[in-house]
Amino acid sequence: MRVARYLLWRALRGVAVLLTMIALTMALYFAVETKPPVMFFFPAVSRGQPVTPAELKVVDHLFYLDRSKVGLYFDYVAHLARGDFGRYSTIDPDGKLVDVGPVAPLYLREVRATLSILVGGAILVLLLSLPLGAISGSRIGSWRDRVISFGALVLVCTHPMMLGLILRSGGGRVNWLPTTGYCPLVRGSSDPCGGPVDWASHLVLPWLTFALLFLALYTRMVRASVAETIHEDFVRTARAKGASQARVLGRHVLPSASLRVLTMVGMEIGTAIGVCIYIESAFGIGGIGSGAVSQLGGGNPFLNLPSDLAIVVLITLIVVIGNLVVDLLYATVDPRVGVERGTQRTKSLVGGVF
Amino acid sequence: MRPVGPWRAGWRRLRRDRGSLVALAAVAAVVLLALFGGAAVSRLTGHSGAEPFMYAASASQKPVGPWSHVPTPAVPRYDAYGNLLTPPKGTKSTLFLLGADGPLGRDELIRLLDGLRTSLEVGVFAMLIALLISLPVGAVAGYFGGLVDAVVSQATETMMAFPLLLFLVFANRYLLGDIRAVGWSWVVPSGVVGEAVLIGVFTAFYPTRLIRAQMFSLRSAEFVEAAHMVGATDRRILRRHLLPHLAPTLLVWGGIAVGTNILAEVGLSFLGIGVDPSIPSLGSLLSTVWGTIFNPHSYDSQAYTPWQTVFPMVTIVLTVVSLNRLSEGVRSALDPRSIR
Repeated sequence: MRVARYLLWRALRGVAVLLTMIALTMALYFAVETKPPVMFFFPAVSRGQPVTPAELKVVDHLFYLDRSKVGLYFDYVAHLARGDFGRYSTIDPDGKLVDVGPVAPLYLREVRATLSILVGGAILVLLLSLPLGAISGSRIGSWRDRVISFGALVLVCTHPMMLGLILRSGGGRVNWLPTTGYCPLVRGSSDPCGGPVDWASHLVLPWLTFALLFLALYTRMVRASVAETIHEDFVRTARAKGASQARVLGRHVLPSASLRVLTMVGMEIGTAIGVCIYIESAFGIGGIGSGAVSQLGGGNPFLNLPSDLAIVVLITLIVVIGNLVVDLLYATVDPRVGVERGTQRTKSLVGGVF
Repeated sequence: MRPVGPWRAGWRRLRRDRGSLVALAAVAAVVLLALFGGAAVSRLTGHSGAEPFMYAASASQKPVGPWSHVPTPAVPRYDAYGNLLTPPKGTKSTLFLLGADGPLGRDELIRLLDGLRTSLEVGVFAMLIALLISLPVGAVAGYFGGLVDAVVSQATETMMAFPLLLFLVFANRYLLGDIRAVGWSWVVPSGVVGEAVLIGVFTAFYPTRLIRAQMFSLRSAEFVEAAHMVGATDRRILRRHLLPHLAPTLLVWGGIAVGTNILAEVGLSFLGIGVDPSIPSLGSLLSTVWGTIFNPHSYDSQAYTPWQTVFPMVTIVLTVVSLNRLSEGVRSALDPRSIR
């Protein structure tokens, strides 16, 4: 019961974050797009003719400048609650507003690519960082610990973009794996490639890049956690009962140490999407990260409210849902959850870079 | 034995920790090299870091490697096809200690040292800006609690949830305006202030939470109650009684933050929104080799040398690792629970 209430509380916090992000996006949009680029849609204006009221009206309508902002916000949230991300429109040569189509399909495709990198990479990180951190943390100051810790620090300083490009060059030379592009897990009629084998082989190098960067962060965290746990009474009891070092680490220390790691994983999902921007670019994968950069800061002459909102909402959803999954895991590992409400969570400091 | 204050006791503990002393020396060396290294090397070798040398890059634009004597003839000679000819024997030459930086043939060592200064400036300025924002916000939120705290907490939670880079990219394109061009000749190259504002504003959530949490636990401490009892105002309590308690935490945070800000500067260069590529910084040195996210380069061994990646990387690792180690040393030295 308490666990359910805790999860509900976290879900409500997630919804609050989503609503805040939508409001923030709209506020920034209306702060930036105060003067719509009429001449972009009406070539006659760029040749020096004055803007007619009818032209101004249709452009204002396209840019949502003729709507009440509060009304627009609630309208959007209501549509979103029904799973509707809105539609694109544009202005045809006759000066009429025309509908282009729904916003969601393109971005959903990009989200699938990014999620593939995220999930596979995260599994690889866990598989590697838990044993490495345990080796390192079980004997602080040994040569193994020194090598692992120093390697982790050097990897933190390596940028994922560079790491990705180095792996890509190396992979291109060895020629075992494809080094660019993305193949969907389920092959559609228009896809040049697809299916589980193509999907995984194209993602091996991106996963490795992702894992190497986060490995550095998480190995350090697991190390600190293990070093702290290993002196607890229950560990000594296990040793006294004759458990081997592997059993002590695997059955007693790591489950306890993984709690702290789990809270961190939740905070770092946004970070991971930031890292994906670079990885997607390095391996030529059309994901939501690089899509968002080109939409929000790239070459477009103006912002486009429906697609900006779709990007922000989808990324926030990944973060919020990912956080809920982590909370669920946390609740199964540690039944004491929810006793201390409002415990502070925060990112690792290096995570702040992305 | 005379009693010692917390700072003096901390310094005594730090002095006994060999690793921290090495880190302190490394940080001091990095700062000195960044400030004066470029000018000193330039004086010794007789050429500046902005000067291009024709003979410092091959026909395929591959720069020369470390320890190269680059000929500097007054008039370069070409053959009939416009290819550069090797100069006659006895032509004067100048020494490139770490080789050249790219097709233009500038001195890598001088650019590396100047770039280190640019990156350090970004790191330190951004840290100060983040501190300037987070100190009042975090202190007020943690001390007074209530509605202010709820708003601040919701804001920081939202900021942390969303990828920071997208904020940066958006703010750079639409909100930064004229700050981007602010600069003061070579001392503070243009673009440094803009980058520092970007990084500082958007990383301020971390110290805000640190300060808020500490204020929250301190506000019901006995010495605060005592100050209330004798009639001190909230303002006086915050400034005279609580702020000094934050100093050790913020000192440690500051050291690590400068390191992560340097990494963030590299990231901005890879996003294509860093300092201008003609201005050396650790990020721009790396992104001239590897490109930006809009135009990633696949490595071409005909046009680049591994040194162009190795030297900036070693500099970054050395700087960040020594800053981290020093901060950890300071943390344990100032921790009142450690006995030494």
